[in-house]
Amino acid sequence: MNQDTRPGGDVPSPCNNVCRMNPDTGLCEGCFRTLDEIAAWSAMSDAEKRAVLAQLPARRTLR
Amino acid sequence: MKLPEGIQVIERGWLSSNNVVLHARTGAVVVDSGYGAHVAQTLALLERVLAGKKLARLVNTHCHSDHMGGNAAIQKKYGCRTSVPDGEAPLIDRWDEQALILAIADQRAERFRYDDTFRDGDTLRMGGYDWRVIAAPGHDTHAVMFHSPEARVLISGDAFWENGFGVVFPQLFGRDTALAETRATLEAIGRLEVDVVIPGHGRPFGDAGAALERAFYRLEGYEEDITRLARHCAKVMLSFALLEKRSMPLAELPAYVARVPILAELNSRYLRMTPAAMAEWLVNELERAGAVRRNDGMLYAAGN
Repeated sequence: MNQDTRPGGDVPSPCNNVCRMNPDTGLCEGCFRTLDEIAAWSAMSDAEKRAVLAQLPARRTLR
Repeated sequence: MKLPEGIQVIERGWLSSNNVVLHARTGAVVVDSGYGAHVAQTLALLERVLAGKKLARLVNTHCHSDHMGGNAAIQKKYGCRTSVPDGEAPLIDRWDEQALILAIADQRAERFRYDDTFRDGDTLRMGGYDWRVIAAPGHDTHAVMFHSPEARVLISGDAFWENGFGVVFPQLFGRDTALAETRATLEAIGRLEVDVVIPGHGRPFGDAGAALERAFYRLEGYEEDITRLARHCAKVMLSFALLEKRSMPLAELPAYVARVPILAELNSRYLRMTPAAMAEWLVNELERAGAVRRNDGMLYAAGN
C-alpha cells in the first residue's frame, strides 16, 4: 500500500517491491535500476533521480 | 536529502525496511536488514556500499519481519555482532511467531540469534557518532529510535514516518495503552533536536514538525474511533501480503481472510463482515488507494 502521499515536489522511488537483481542484465527485475543507482538513490538530487527514471523505459524494452 | 558524513541510507520499498549504514574506520554498523524475500538484494547492496570495509555490527530498531528478515543472512556472511532492543530479546529467544507478527500475519523471517541488547537511555557508538537509544512504543511495544544530537539525525524505525507511523498493532490486540504510548513517542520526538529523520520506510526527510502534525492528526482519528485503526490494519496486512506474493486469484481471497489469524481476528473483533464481504471491501479500498488492481480474476499488487 502506498502509505505515503508526499507533500511538495519530490521524485518517488520506482521500487515496486520485487527487489531481485538479474545477474545477466545487472538490473533489478522490478525497477530496472542498477545496484549502484538503488544504493545511491536516497542521496541523489531530484534532478539526478529524474535522470535515472528517464532511462528506465528503454531498459524495460531491452529485456 | 543531504546527510552528515558517514551516514548512508539504502532506501528500499515497503516490503523491506530501509537499511541505514553508518560508516566508521572501526567497522560499519547497519540498522535494520529488510525482508527475508529480498535478502539476496540486501546482501548485494550492502556489499556494494561497504566496498570491502568491515561490517562490525547489525542493529534493529524493532523486530518485525521487514526489519529483521536479513539478520540471519547478514550474520552468516559477515560474522558481525548483532544487537536488539532488550524488550525484543525474549521474543527472539523463543521465536514468538505471534508477538513478532510472523505466522499469524502470513509473514516469515529466518530465525537468528543476537549477541547483546540495548535499552532506553543507552548510548551506542555507531559510525563515528554517539546515538542515544530512545524507547518508541506504539506500533511495536519494544521498538526504539536512535538519535544523534551531534549529527542532528533521528533513525525512527516505524515509530514515525513522513506521513504517519506503523500500524499500532498492540492497541488492536489487547494492549489498551498502545495509542497513548504512540502519543508519548511522538511528543518525545517533538522535543529532540533533529534536522533529518531517517524513517523505516520512505525517503529521509527534513521537516519533522510538519510530519509530526500529520502524525498527530492520524493518531487523533484512531483515538476517536478504534475501528478506523482496525480497517487500516486489515488493508496494510493484505497489501503487504500482496507485495510479497505479487498476485493472487480473487476467488481465493475470502478463504485467505478467514484463514490468516490476524485478519480473522480483526474481522471478528472489529469489522464483523462475512469473509466474502471483507474480501470485497479490502479489494475496493486498496484499488481506490492505487495499491492493487484487478484483472481477469486476478488481484495484482500495483506495479506488477
